Amino acid sequence: MSVRAAEDLASGDHACAVPVSDEQLWELTARFLSGGLRRNEKVVYFDDGTSERVLDRLTEDRMPVAATLRSGQLQVVPADVTRGAFRSPVADVRALLHSYVDGSVAQGWSGFRMTGQMSYGADAPAGIPMTAYDAALDDVVRERRLAALCLYDHGHYTQEQIERMRVAHREELTAPAAYDDGLLRITQTGVTAVRLAGEADHSNRPVIHKLITDTLDRALRSADAPTDIELNLASLRFIDVAGAVALVHAAEEFPSSHRLVLGDVRPGVQRVLDRCGAPFATQLLVREARRPPARLPEPADGPHGPRERRLAGAPLEGAGNGSRPEQDAPDDTDETDASDAVDEDPRRERATEGAAG
Amino acid sequence: MKVESRVPAHTRLRHAVEFHDGPEDQLTRAVAFARATVRRGEQLAVAVPPTVEKAVFDAVGHAGVVALTAPFGASGGSGQTTAATWARELRSLVQSDPGVTVLCGHDPAHDGVDGGYWTELDAALNVSLADLPVDLVCLYPAWPLHLEVLEGARANHPYVLDDGGLRHNPEHRCPLEVLRGRERAAPLVLGPPDLTYRYNSWQLHEVRRMVARLAPALGFDPVRSEDLVLAVNEIATNAVEHGAPQAEIQLWATAGGLVCEVHDTGDLDEPLPGLTAPHPAEPRGRGVWIARQLCDLLHVWQDRRGTHVRLHATP
Repeated sequence: MSVRAAEDLASGDHACAVPVSDEQLWELTARFLSGGLRRNEKVVYFDDGTSERVLDRLTEDRMPVAATLRSGQLQVVPADVTRGAFRSPVADVRALLHSYVDGSVAQGWSGFRMTGQMSYGADAPAGIPMTAYDAALDDVVRERRLAALCLYDHGHYTQEQIERMRVAHREELTAPAAYDDGLLRITQTGVTAVRLAGEADHSNRPVIHKLITDTLDRALRSADAPTDIELNLASLRFIDVAGAVALVHAAEEFPSSHRLVLGDVRPGVQRVLDRCGAPFATQLLVREARRPPARLPEPADGPHGPRERRLAGAPLEGAGNGSRPEQDAPDDTDETDASDAVDEDPRRERATEGAAG
Repeated sequence: MKVESRVPAHTRLRHAVEFHDGPEDQLTRAVAFARATVRRGEQLAVAVPPTVEKAVFDAVGHAGVVALTAPFGASGGSGQTTAATWARELRSLVQSDPGVTVLCGHDPAHDGVDGGYWTELDAALNVSLADLPVDLVCLYPAWPLHLEVLEGARANHPYVLDDGGLRHNPEHRCPLEVLRGRERAAPLVLGPPDLTYRYNSWQLHEVRRMVARLAPALGFDPVRSEDLVLAVNEIATNAVEHGAPQAEIQLWATAGGLVCEVHDTGDLDEPLPGLTAPHPAEPRGRGVWIARQLCDLLHVWQDRRGTHVRLHATP
């Protein structure tokens, strides 16, 4: 067992993690990818219906998603390619990974890291056990010094599959949470700072009040602790009226020396807070999220749109002929426009956001 | 509740009934009342039958006179919804005016099956307008088709206005008493719902997900979808918080928006929840209040099986 965080994994690391909730899955994935982006590594996510939430979480973590997608540093490999790998011979996948890491280094990236939603391989669609692919990956990690995080979440893997994959890994990451009920996840990010992810409703109502009083307690007990109790709400997609009222009341009961600061609040949560008297609570500070979560350009760009071209050149598809990772897209200007539009256009906000679990 | 009114007692709601002998008499009295009000320079708001409304506007013009919304949807009249809507409209009127005089006229077209709409409306107005500087006079027929209309009018009004002026009404009773024992009408029955779901406290997120999925297809924009999800969540939460551990939600996707009913087997401690904004220090009761602000109709009723809420929202 390790106490390392996902973003601390470096070249030559091959670890697994078993998230207890979807929120933890997004958290671990985003933190692992962020670690690579900060190290100037090529960062690849093998998608299987999960990339939207991963990119959301990266944005909520204030990572430059659009810019890194644009530069090619961050790449999302489409689901059919991810699945195709598990129908290919192990040797092909190994060769492909080799060429992929080498290509990234040749392009000037300081390294290569990968993770993704690989559960398609758990049922051995080509009769090849997932552990065989994992062993090949482990070889490449040793030979080429890449960083890989294998995520086995309960939503996509059976308990038996999880245990089998767990045994195959030398290192397992754990990311302790202050609270995680599958709907709401709370993590401690500092002495007086916590982060909420997911949805707060009647089912986890007592938790928020306790969280704030405990954090305030810590702040009051240590002389040099900050006087702001910070709740990062970037990933809080829903709060009910009673939850919002609880936050407002908590702030009103603070000693006058302390404030409750809600950071990166999403617009929907902000509206609930406004209706529950937040603007009139003098010791409550609500900071809006800087901008709505980024989106990948819609596939509706058309089959000849820049994104499709980039994904079509994704690594694993040409496994047989040893294709190299794609060079800088020639249509860079097009993509720049598309990505910018996505980042800055508030209308792109997901319609169901704030309610969808 | 430790609600303290910011409005001095003498400028809070004064709710009176005036009886008339028939439609013509109602029209005559309405026009006279409107003339007198406008002559005194007071802001007038009217909620009267269409012919009376036309006569009033013909007589006094449109300056200083507004018509209140009468929200009658496909599912019929809901007195509590009307009372909530008028409270919202009058609250914004008294922002600019020190007080408003309101003339309400009975319209038999809204009697429904038994006239119970009017009893609920007046009881709900006593709650929703309690804190507003409003002089409300209701014109009721002395000989209505439904006896219920007369009984309700006698019980709900603290004052009677007649030739002798304003006098106390000895028959007046508070809303709780008026509504106790009266089985309030269920709204018109709809067809089979598009979705039915039984849930408990730990499945509220599924309820929200169902609404969030339906809303965009019905024309709700992202912001309105979120508001709708919040409104339904609050009603659904109330059912499992105060009622039985399990409740049932039914959803109808209609051309006119989303209709939703929540049924639980619990009791209500107040018959008309969410008609007044709870005091900021009051931790409970805010959910239904907010849901009422976000919906076009929110109707709560009770029967032997428990408590029921219908909610209707248009995009």
